[in-house]
Amino acid sequence: MKNLKSSLLLATAFTLILASCHKDKKVTPVTVPVTSGLYVLNQGLFNSNNSTLTFYDYTAKKATSDIFSSANGRGLGDTGNDIEIYGSKMYIVVNISSTIEVVDAKTAKSIKQIKLFNGTTARQPRDIVFYKNNAYVTSYDGAVAVIDTSFLTSPQYINVGRNPEQLAVANGKLYVANSGGLSYPNYDKTVSVINLATNTVTATITVGVNPQNVVADANGNVYVLSAGDYGSNPSSLAIIDDNTDVVKSQTNFDGSGMIIQGDNLYFITSANKIIVYSATSHTITNSNFISDGTAITTPYALAADGTTGEVFVTDAKNYTSNGAVFAFDKTGKNEYSFTAGINPGKIALFNR
Amino acid sequence: MFIKANNSKSNLYSLSAGLLCLLFALPLSLSAQTDTAKKLNEVKINGRHLPQIQTPTPSQQISAADFDRYSAFNVADAIRNFAGVNIKDYGGIGGLKTVSVRSLGAEHLSVLYDGVQINDAENGQIDLGKLNLSNVQNITLYNGQPSEICMAARSFAAASVLSIATIRPVLTAEKPYQLLLGLKGGSFGLINPYLQWQQRLNNNWSFIVNSYWEKANGRYKYKVNGDGSDTSSVRTNADVDAKEADGALYWTKSDSNKFNLHINYYNSERGLPGAVVFYNPTSNERLWNKDFSLQSGYERTWKNSLRLLVNTKLSQEYIRYIDPDYLNGTGGLDDRYTQREFYLSAALSYHFVKNWEVSYSTDAALTDLDASLYNFAYPSRFTLLNVLATNYTLGKFRLQGNLLNTYINEWVKMGKATPSRSVFSPTLMATFQPLPSPTLQLRAFYKDIFRNPTFNEQYYFSAFGSRNIKPEFAKQFDLGFTYTKAVNSFLDYIAFTVDGYYNKVTDKIVALPNKNPVILTIINLGKVDITGVDFGFKTQTKLLNGWRGVFSVNYTYQNAVDVTDPTSSYYNQQIPYTPMHTLALNAGVNYKNAGLYYNQVLSSYRYYLSQNTPQNLIDGYSVSDLSLVYNVMAGNKPLAFSVHVDNLFNENYVIIQSFPMPGRSVLFSVQIKI
Repeated sequence: MKNLKSSLLLATAFTLILASCHKDKKVTPVTVPVTSGLYVLNQGLFNSNNSTLTFYDYTAKKATSDIFSSANGRGLGDTGNDIEIYGSKMYIVVNISSTIEVVDAKTAKSIKQIKLFNGTTARQPRDIVFYKNNAYVTSYDGAVAVIDTSFLTSPQYINVGRNPEQLAVANGKLYVANSGGLSYPNYDKTVSVINLATNTVTATITVGVNPQNVVADANGNVYVLSAGDYGSNPSSLAIIDDNTDVVKSQTNFDGSGMIIQGDNLYFITSANKIIVYSATSHTITNSNFISDGTAITTPYALAADGTTGEVFVTDAKNYTSNGAVFAFDKTGKNEYSFTAGINPGKIALFNR
Repeated sequence: MFIKANNSKSNLYSLSAGLLCLLFALPLSLSAQTDTAKKLNEVKINGRHLPQIQTPTPSQQISAADFDRYSAFNVADAIRNFAGVNIKDYGGIGGLKTVSVRSLGAEHLSVLYDGVQINDAENGQIDLGKLNLSNVQNITLYNGQPSEICMAARSFAAASVLSIATIRPVLTAEKPYQLLLGLKGGSFGLINPYLQWQQRLNNNWSFIVNSYWEKANGRYKYKVNGDGSDTSSVRTNADVDAKEADGALYWTKSDSNKFNLHINYYNSERGLPGAVVFYNPTSNERLWNKDFSLQSGYERTWKNSLRLLVNTKLSQEYIRYIDPDYLNGTGGLDDRYTQREFYLSAALSYHFVKNWEVSYSTDAALTDLDASLYNFAYPSRFTLLNVLATNYTLGKFRLQGNLLNTYINEWVKMGKATPSRSVFSPTLMATFQPLPSPTLQLRAFYKDIFRNPTFNEQYYFSAFGSRNIKPEFAKQFDLGFTYTKAVNSFLDYIAFTVDGYYNKVTDKIVALPNKNPVILTIINLGKVDITGVDFGFKTQTKLLNGWRGVFSVNYTYQNAVDVTDPTSSYYNQQIPYTPMHTLALNAGVNYKNAGLYYNQVLSSYRYYLSQNTPQNLIDGYSVSDLSLVYNVMAGNKPLAFSVHVDNLFNENYVIIQSFPMPGRSVLFSVQIKI
């Protein structure tokens, strides 16, 4: 009996020790960004509900992680794909959770959560742009959702091609990249053109296989970067004339993560270099933007600040641990860097 | 070679088709009988059974009589109390349940079914939740390998072995048959009738047929943390409809000359409830399985101690997976996979002198995989295993060792096959008995083993470039002791085991996501250092006025750290889903023909990613189950009732991130033996 009793006692002791082994999750105090800075949207990992928002304060030179949760007492959900500020509001497009989180750009406090569903099937929003108080969001089920930014009512849908990715506004029109990305190997290779006065598709332009990124310059050019099919069709860059909606040129192009700032386009090459491409000469003007040898393990996304000429490069590291953001001045010298969440995929600049 | 094997396969397939129809009719006709079906659980109340003396490699066993005591419904439940075991449970009755032993990962565990491996070349892991207990006699987990040396070569070829032994007919000429009818049901909308028919044909021949039908809507309440909701939701699309028929034919000339033939058919359809994604909880994914296997074994021991063991197996596993919500514009995903294996094994052992035994085993297996995927590789793999083993007893020492050679060759229809390889893997073990009585035994083993990349790791979407993945190596060191003593006072016996271990994993196969969703990067990147302690204690009281108390506790400490890259942010941090402390205790009391048992499993916190940050933390949990067993005679027929209350305190927890576990649930069962 003594043996049994002492064993039970031992077990109870173990139980208590183990129960005290719970580590409390750290509660980050609510930080209100009152000054200029940048928001980093971290995708997190598929099915892990760990997409987060990091805010970097320029003045305090300090990054605060997961401020969406701190401000709202709930998480962003699964795979935040795009973030943009329009007026006083910030729009966070969450792909797998199939929501658009509309928040106050100053505090990240939720104003409205818009759900994008077709019955119970998630439409999976990807990317957002704005035009005349309307938000246009690509919806992976082959549509563009139109949302009135004043009333934030349920979206209207315009049908486009398969699995639309990025979109861009130029010359009163919307250019939508139809990737067909979920139909490997049978990708889409078109751009849908939507007349923003009527919200109808007016043209469908053929570009390279699997178009992903779209940007427009001030000179009447729309750039469409296609990822290719990872087989015989390599990645390519098409330039569309926004007057005629005709492809002016299409060339094989080693790059991804295309962004534009003024007359410069920035890309990440397959060799993990950041390159600069001129929107006027249509040539690569700098094949290695980072001039001080700063090493970035996995360049993942780019952003640029038009007023300072700064370029921001995110680092996804091994895609499963916390990433980082590196800030470079216009000459490509590293100014500072900070830790972000898992897979930092998009940056929004907040200038007060 | 390849074509020849294919031919013989198709011949055997057609041969088995007839038998298959016969067996499959069972679960269908069974549902009509459920009203009268009853269930029996054998509860051993009398007699002292000392736990078997521990062998050079640590082993833990649970037998059918104890399944109720541990509130077990499937094989995964039955072994969750074992030391060193870490179950990855995706939750619910149809959820995937795999087991990792001593932090090595499910791919390093070999699951044997009556001595023959259940192989999954596609994924490398076996869903233990799919394995029903109704025809299981006992389950044994061996760290390293079983301690005998006359066994199939595959039994030497894994880091740990989970051996499932099925019920064998034990009948007499006076009562040449036994029929067992049972019914389980309860939470999750579960209804599970089963049937066992044992028949003695003559002095040499007997057979046993087992069949069950398991149907459940799988629904349970759960609470999501982090999405701002404070009400609980109901897990849907979690239904299961599984049928299994298993037949075994035995020919026994004597204990030293016997043959068996097993045929098994499993057919299931289930909903996959998927991860609970915030704000988007719906899943319409479904999975169908159709598994068929035919295996036979022959065993002969001659007077001069020469022993022969021959096993063969033919198996086919078909999977269909659909996701109608996948936005590919063609109505979603609809993928099919078919895996086939043809397996032959022979082992021969001989005692040169009384205390020296030598054995030689050889296994050949041909495995292939078809998939309805674009540019699929259609891989085939030929594996040849050769083992030379020896066992030598010298006074108080017992020394055992073996050398395994693995030769693997692969073919593909698309892309490039992995070059063939040949690997030598040694194992050494020893026991020492320091005292005159065998009460105390010291033991140690060293095993150097590897796991081959699975077909998925090697060939899934690999057409973009050939992956040349090397095997993942695991070196295991173990040092421990066992102390088993019959006590002549209040307690029947006490049994202690303590083992310290160190495992080193190199060339760990790691799948990394990529910028591109189609291309998974799979590389031999990881290095893991695992230090751990397994502790076990077991006792029971003597029978006193019909009362008996039973108690067991197992504790595991595991420090499994990633030592891949000193510059990474997760260097020297605990690997994902590995708790540092696990405690499982079981206590119960029997009175005459009734038993009441309490089971508790505690796990400390884990991280779901390599980086040990608070964001990646999953809280520890403590889950308790209560079970009640009652046996009675209905006329001269033994009748058994049991009730399990699982997760008694309704703990809200997860094992896998985004896959909530069920709260409190109840399972009733009744069984009659005729």
